[in-house]
Parts: sequence; C-alpha cells; structure tokens
Amino acid sequence: MGSSHHLLVFLMFLHYAVGFTYNCVKILPDSSSSIVVEVGKNFTATCHLLEGCAYTSDDIEWRLGNLSIAKQSYHRINETAVSVTINISSDMSDWLKCTAPKESLSYKPRSIYGIFLRAGYPPLKPKNLSCIAVQEDKDISPNLNCSWDPGSRNPLIDTTYTVYANVPGTVLTHKADCKQHLARFCVVNLETFPIHMVLKVWVEVKNALGSERSELQSDSSYFAKPNPPLNVQVLTEDKFPTSLVVTWKHPIDRTILKLSYAIRYRKVTSNVWIEVPESFTRGYIESFRLQSLEPYTQYVVQMRCIGESNSSYWSNWSPSVTERTTEAKPASAPDLWRIIRPTSNSRNVTLIWKAPVKANGKIRFYNLSINQNNEKFESHNITADNLSQMYSMELPAGKMASIEITAYNSAGESPKATLSIPRSDKELPGVKDMSWSVRDEKLQVKWTAVLPLPHPLKLSEYLLEWVKIPQSVHQKELPAGWQRVPKNVTVTTLNAGLEKFKRYNISVYPIYKYQPGHVWHFQPGRPVTRPAYVQQGPPKEGPTVTVTKSKKNSAELTWEETPLDSHQGFIIHYTIFYAIGNTKQWKSETVGPNVHSYVLTDLASETDYVVYVMASTEAGSVKGTDCTFKTMKYGDGEVEVIVVVVCLSFLFLTVFIIMICLRKREVIKKLLWPQVPDPSDSSIAHWSPDFPIKADLPKEDVSVVEVDVFDGKSLCEEDKGVLPLKKDKYLSEEHSSGIGGSSCMSSPRHSVSDSDEGDSGQTTSSTVQYSTVLGSGYKGQTPSHQPPAFARSESTQPLLDCEEHPDHLNESQSRSSYFRRGRELEPGVLAPECDGGSLTFCPVQEEEPSPVAEEPPASALCYMPQKSGYRPQ
Amino acid sequence: MNCHVMNMVCLSQRSQAKFRIILPILILIAVELVHPTMSCKNEKCSQLLHRSLKLTRLMSKRSADLLETYKASQGDSADLICDMQMDNVPVSTISGQTMSERILSVYTHLKEFLPHMKTVMEQQKDLNPPINPVVEGLHSMITHVHHIAQRVNCILQILQPNIPIPEPAERSTGIPPAQNIFQQKAYGCIVLSRLQELLSQAVQEQKSLKGKMCKQRTKNGSL
Repeated sequence: MGSSHHLLVFLMFLHYAVGFTYNCVKILPDSSSSIVVEVGKNFTATCHLLEGCAYTSDDIEWRLGNLSIAKQSYHRINETAVSVTINISSDMSDWLKCTAPKESLSYKPRSIYGIFLRAGYPPLKPKNLSCIAVQEDKDISPNLNCSWDPGSRNPLIDTTYTVYANVPGTVLTHKADCKQHLARFCVVNLETFPIHMVLKVWVEVKNALGSERSELQSDSSYFAKPNPPLNVQVLTEDKFPTSLVVTWKHPIDRTILKLSYAIRYRKVTSNVWIEVPESFTRGYIESFRLQSLEPYTQYVVQMRCIGESNSSYWSNWSPSVTERTTEAKPASAPDLWRIIRPTSNSRNVTLIWKAPVKANGKIRFYNLSINQNNEKFESHNITADNLSQMYSMELPAGKMASIEITAYNSAGESPKATLSIPRSDKELPGVKDMSWSVRDEKLQVKWTAVLPLPHPLKLSEYLLEWVKIPQSVHQKELPAGWQRVPKNVTVTTLNAGLEKFKRYNISVYPIYKYQPGHVWHFQPGRPVTRPAYVQQGPPKEGPTVTVTKSKKNSAELTWEETPLDSHQGFIIHYTIFYAIGNTKQWKSETVGPNVHSYVLTDLASETDYVVYVMASTEAGSVKGTDCTFKTMKYGDGEVEVIVVVVCLSFLFLTVFIIMICLRKREVIKKLLWPQVPDPSDSSIAHWSPDFPIKADLPKEDVSVVEVDVFDGKSLCEEDKGVLPLKKDKYLSEEHSSGIGGSSCMSSPRHSVSDSDEGDSGQTTSSTVQYSTVLGSGYKGQTPSHQPPAFARSESTQPLLDCEEHPDHLNESQSRSSYFRRGRELEPGVLAPECDGGSLTFCPVQEEEPSPVAEEPPASALCYMPQKSGYRPQ
Repeated sequence: MNCHVMNMVCLSQRSQAKFRIILPILILIAVELVHPTMSCKNEKCSQLLHRSLKLTRLMSKRSADLLETYKASQGDSADLICDMQMDNVPVSTISGQTMSERILSVYTHLKEFLPHMKTVMEQQKDLNPPINPVVEGLHSMITHVHHIAQRVNCILQILQPNIPIPEPAERSTGIPPAQNIFQQKAYGCIVLSRLQELLSQAVQEQKSLKGKMCKQRTKNGSL
C-alpha cells in the first residue's frame, strides 16, 4: 500500500513536470537570434497554437519583457492564431512572449514562446565625404585618409562603415573596414596612388535595417595635398625700397602635379595678411616680386600651393620668412618741441624731438640750426640715438629764437621742422581752461578752445605735454612727452604710457602758425598746466613727526612733507594720532594737506605720549614713524615763581639773623670771646711786657719732643702735606715746642693761652699762633732772674691732632707711651712717621684757666717727665 | 478552349512581366562587363589625352630612374648584363602606319610588358630583400603601366570607336623559362630598358595626337 502510494505521487510529479515544459505555441516570425526591428515602425507577430494544443486563442496572452501587452493590440486571426501589433520604440529591445497560461487547479500544461526584439535605426547616409592623400617625399602617399559626417543618430544596433576606392576601369578595388563605432574617418591603402587617373571613393554604412553610401569620383589629383613650396626666400634689392623678391622651389614634380602658388605677406607689426591675387601668381613660376611696400619695414611672407586650376587641396602655408625692405629718404619731418625753464635772468630751453614718423630707414643724425633774433646763432649735427635726442641752451628773456631741425638717414634728408620761441613778454595766449580725468586707465584731457587771433596768426593745432615730476637727477632721458592733436579737437586721451602712482604735469599749448616768407613758422602759446595721476595709490611712506615744544598740557608737533615721489597721489589730509604711553587709546586730529605742524592741547602733565602722523590719498593711507614725548611737570613760569619765593625767603631770614646778631652782639661776644684775665691787672704779680723772653731762654733747657714711630701707614694724607713744615718747625723752633711741652707739663694755671686761642676750633691745616707764656712765678715762687714775660709766637705750625680734638685726650694718653725723648729718635725718621694716630702732642687746654691749682694730671701719661726740659720754677 | 486561350494570354503576360524585370538586370550586367570602356566617357577627349600624356611622360621618367636604381642594385656587372640579348622579351618598336595603328601598337606592347614586369618583380623579391627600392618601383610601375594602358585604350576607343580593341593573350609573348641568377638580372635589365624605350615612344606617339585627335572628334561632333 505504501509503495503504490509513492509511485503514484512520483507519476503525478513526472506528469506535472512534463506538462510544465510542454510547449504548444509558436511565434511567427521566428528567429534563432534576435529580430531587429526599426524604431518608429509597427511590428506584428502572430502566435499560433499548435495542433493538439488544449488552449484556444482566447487563452493567448502577449507580454513584452515582464509587461503584458494591452488586449486592444491583439488581433484574433482564427481559433488558433492571435497576432499583436506594437509600435517599436528605442527602449523595446526585449523578449516578446506569447503565453498560454495554466489555469489554477488545472492539469492543462502551461505553454510559452518568445522572440527577442532588438530595436534600432537604419543607417544614415554619411555626409561631407572627403579624402586626402598627402605628399610623401616626391610622390603622393597611397594612403587615402577619408572622413565624413556619420550623423548624430545612434543606430542602436551593430553598424559597419567601409571605405572603398578604385580606379574606374580596373577590377582592383581597395577597401578599409572602419572599426570604430559611428566611425568618422578611415584610411584606405591604395598601394600606389593613381596619378592622372580618375579615382572613385565611396563609404558604405550597413546594418540589419539597411545600408547607405556616399561617393566621390574625381581626378586623383583632387585627392592630393601637396607640401608647401620649398626653400621660400625673400630677397631685397638696392634702390628698390618698396619691393621684395620672393623665390621658392616646386615641392613636387610637375609631371605628377602641376602647381600654382599663393603668396601672402604682412608687416611684422601687423596681424593682417595681404594676399597677392591668384591671377598674379598663376603659372608654374618660382619667383615673384612684391611691390608697393613701405621702405625700411619688416615683412613676413608665407606661401602655399595648389594643383593648377584648383585641381588639388591647398597645401599648408610655408614657414614664415621675414625680411626688411631697404631704406628710402625720410618722408616726414621730425617732431620738434621745447621745454622752457625760467632762470633768474634767462631761460633754459631744452629742445627735444622725435624721429620722423615716416623715417623710411634708420635715422643717422639730425641737423639742428638755431637762430636768435633772426641771426644764425649755432648749428649742430647730433647723432641720432635715444639718449641724446635733446639739446639745451640758454635763451635770454629778451631774445627770440627760431629752431630748425632735419633728419638724415642713409638714403637722404627729411623735410625741415621749425619752431619759434618768442621773447618772454611776447607770449601768445593759451587755452582758457583745462581739466583732466581718468578713463580706462588713461588720462583724458579737456580744454577750452582759444579765441581766433588777428591775422597773420592762425591756430595750427594743440599740443599736450606731460612731464614727470619730480625729475630724477640721474635720469638721462627727459621724462617728458608730447602729443599733437588737430585744432578742432578740445578733448583727447593721452596715448603716453604714463606710470601709475607718478605725478605728471599736464600742459596744453595752442600752436599758432604764421608765414612770414615761404616757410610756415610755428609758435606755441602760453600753457595751462595741471598736475595729474593716471592712478593714485596710498603713500609709500608716512611723515616723520617731531615734537618741537612740549609743555605741561600741550605739545607742538612738526613734520616735514615726504618726497613727492613717495606721495603716489594727491595728499588729501594728514591725521595725527596720539595716545598716552601704552594705553593704545588713540585720539586723532585731522588737518589739511598743507599743514605741517600742529599743537596738541589738553594733554596730561608729566605724561609719556606716543604720536604719529598718517598721510592719506584717495587710494589709502600710511602712517609715519612713532614719536614719544613727555609733557612737563610745571607750566610756564611756575619754576620761576618758586625760585623767587625761596630766594626772598632766604634773604629775609638772613636779614633777620643779622639784625638779631647786631642787637645781641655783646652776648655773642661774650659767648665767643670770653673774658681773659689781664695779667697786668693781676693783683698777684706785676706784668712786664718788655721783658725779653727768648734771649734769656737757655737753649739747653729746650726740650725736643721726639715722636716715636707707631705705624707708618697710619699717617694721614693731610699730615703728609704739612710734614715738611712740621719737620722744620720741629727742628728749628725748639722754643716753641718746648713751650708747648712746658705748657703741658706746667700747671694750667701757668700755661695761659693767648686770646687767639679762640681760633683753636679751626682745622688742623689752619695756622695757629702759639704763645709762649713765661711765668713770673706763682704762689711765691719767684723766678730767679727772669721777669715774668708773655710772648706771642708767630709760628704757623698747625695744631696737632690731639690739640684739635681735645676729646681724644684719653686716647692720646694711651698713645703717649710712644713718645720718646729726642735723643732716641733719628731726625730723618720723623717726617714719614707722622701719623694722626701716633704723632700727637698734647693739646693746649682751651679751657679757661682754672683758678684752682692742681697736681699735674694725666699729663704724665702724655709726656715723659722732663727732667731738664724746664727750668725749675 | 477559352481556358487554354486564357492560359496562353496569361502566360504571355507573365513572360512579358518577367522580361521587363530581367532586361534591366541584363543591361546592368552588360554595363558592368564593359565597365572599362564606359569609364573613358567620363572625361573629355583633350583632358584624356592630356592626362594620358602626363602619366606616360611621368612613367617614362620614372622608368629611367628605376632602371638606374635597378642597375645600381645589381652589382658591378650591371652594364654587362644589360648588353645581353634576349629573344623572349617584347620589343619596344612601335609599328603601324596610321595613328590608330601606332597607338594600338603602343597599347599592345604595354599589355605585353606587364607580365614581364611582374616576373622581374618576383625575381627581384627572391634575389633581394622583399622590400627594396627596385621591387617597390616595379610594383608602382606595374600599376601605372596598367593605368597608361587604360588611358591608351580610351584613346583607341576615340580613334576607332567601331573597331574592337584586340587584347593580347595572357603570357602569350612567352615568359622565359627557369633562369639562373645572372640570366634573371639580365632579363630584368632588358625588360626595364625596353620598357623605358617603349614609354618614351609612347610619349612621342601621344604628343603626335595633340591637335589632331580631339579636333577630329570635335568635327565629328562626338566630343
């Protein structure tokens, strides 16, 4: 049971499978490959039900690709055939299928049949077929290059282009298959170019929808393209400045292709070619003379050739050949002009000129002739070169000059150019007004026409002059130019190549003419001049500002105008920027272009400021260098007031002190000069002022103070200075020293200083008068044979340090151990060992003599005991 | 009976229709077969003579150049080999009394020379590298001699339009049998020498036609 069931299922599957592939429909037309159909045309296909097919025509369905075709397109032919008609479009390359679909739950087999449609266009006829065989060496190439226009329509299907060529009458036909899609050109090899034969060439285009062909038939020379003429040369001929001879060689033998030639020429400076009429060059020639040319002008010549009677293609143009015609004498006069610069008592006239427009050659030199006050003044031959086409001369203001100039080249002289320069007070009127503007980067100048002048002066033309300023010192050429315009013109554009950012002075002169004799004379009128720029730019550099006056609240700034060459335009204003130190809080002031100093006000006192000036043109601005300044602390007169007040105050104070001193002079006197007891008035002893002092002093009693060396280095410089003096004194005035020493040794009551001791407060360098006081006895000690005497020493020996500084007494005491007796000291050692610290004498006590007698105090520490230095009192 | 008659009528009508279709085809075939002679009528008489003369003159010059090239390529014995005698090379002598006969003689000789030139070219291909100036020149010369013969044929058609032009039989003049190298060289030189002579005479013959042939045709009103 199970196996039979499986077998049944297998048989059903087999039946279904066979039924699925069973086909009982067929389409006509049929093809094993694709069927090419033409776009735009109707295509009809018929689906036939084969015999034994279970379907009817009603079951048939048409599909193109995956899309069903509308039933309206069906046409039922009979029970077993249904046709369909479709209009072919370019996108219909697809399967056209006829199906008899299986109904659901039906055992009827499904049938389907399809043909592949390929839509396309028939080929278009090639247009403009042309074939060229170029010259190779001395023959024509057998390779025929053919080209044509295949049209713009894509045929969508495979299309072939084939070129054929043959000589009619021969059986041999050459052909070339062009492989490219929509081929436009092809090369067919003829093996041998059929010279002097008729050649027939055609291109055939084919595809499944048709074929087209284009044909050419002509003498073979029409397909040939010769090379340009060989060895083209251009020759000049002396004495024929207006002609050139062109020679060449035939590029190909006349037995192959007889050529005629075409010549064209142009000036080197022009782009326009002039072609010699073909009728002039017809014939198998190898030279031609170009005529009516301009003398001394470079011409470019080219040639090409073609088969006679235009029986071939034109060759290419030959390479250019350039030649210059020979010279002829100048046909026009030089263009003469002058530039006048007035000087203190004369005029500096610079004559400048341009070569004749029709120079017809290279100008060798100029002949310049100058007449002053109708008398021949000077004549020069000036070599023609670009650097020396000018001549300067001095012309007194009261003289007129007439200048003539002639140009010469190798062929002859030019017509004469004349120019008159009137006296300074005889200038003719100029134009009334003049203005300029910039148009297309060129200067356009406009002026008002001059009024007519009385006979015989006539207005000849206007002359526009431009002079670059400032003129460079090193410039050899005059930076000027001029341009002449007809007299009926009042506006024109300067054709000069004016530099940008440079200033020019533009002048308009009316040129008058008159005819005193047979020759016309030309005289310019008064000029009207304006400065101008063809293009302005920002200044090259800014002005450098300096502060000329700085005050408490203001500062005066000054800046110099920058060089004109760096302006690059008209300065329209200056702007002053200033700020405090580094605050960057800039303030600005704008002043006119002619202002070059300015006073800044409202500044803070004693403050650092930074300032700069910016110059501006209409095209931009540029700042100058920074300048730093500081405002003053005091204003004008403040210092003076303070000084005066202080001085007056001091004066008043001085006067006041003097007044006080005068009033209190007794008190001051007592303070300064205390009362010294007069010995004569002494009630203790009698004063004998006439007692000889020195004579009776025993020399052996003189004690010489010897100073021991303490420390040589400690000797002060001041002491060094006075050392010789001290030495002398020490050695020669033993009396004085001894007295000094005695004053120290003796009781203060006996050693009384003179009143001059009030000056003891002076410095050590000052001189001090020493007194020798000779006691006449004290408390009953009567001198043996000497009356008491008082002598004043006239010594100028300076006080010793210890004398000057009594406060150092204590120290002196400690140092006193260094004092030695005279015989223990070498005299020569004394001076250098004078030291402030060691070389001390005991000062004279400036105290008032104490009435109380005391024992010799510490003097013992200061001096060594003098056993024999003093006489016993 | 009627039916037979009708069948006969039908048959005659059908044959006429077929004839109408076939006749143009036959004419076309005939035209194509006589195509060489038809091409002559594309040109004017003077133009034909002028171009033929130019081509013959050019080939005369080139044959002289080719002969020099040939001699130069054959080695030192070139002068010797060119002086040899060979009977089976066409002569260059133009024969005939009338203008037409002489032009026909030119035409016949040109045709006779063509197979000899081909033989020389083949021999030169074997003797020298296949591509050399002599072979190239010969190849070009053969083509041009064909063209000259065609032009002369056209002239003959003008000179004697009613008389068929006899075509020389292919290889009728006898191509020489197997030759050794020396003989081949001598053969080639003789062929080229005689060809050059023939072309020179052909130029003269055509020159002699100037002012006669086309004038005569104009009088006859044909061209």
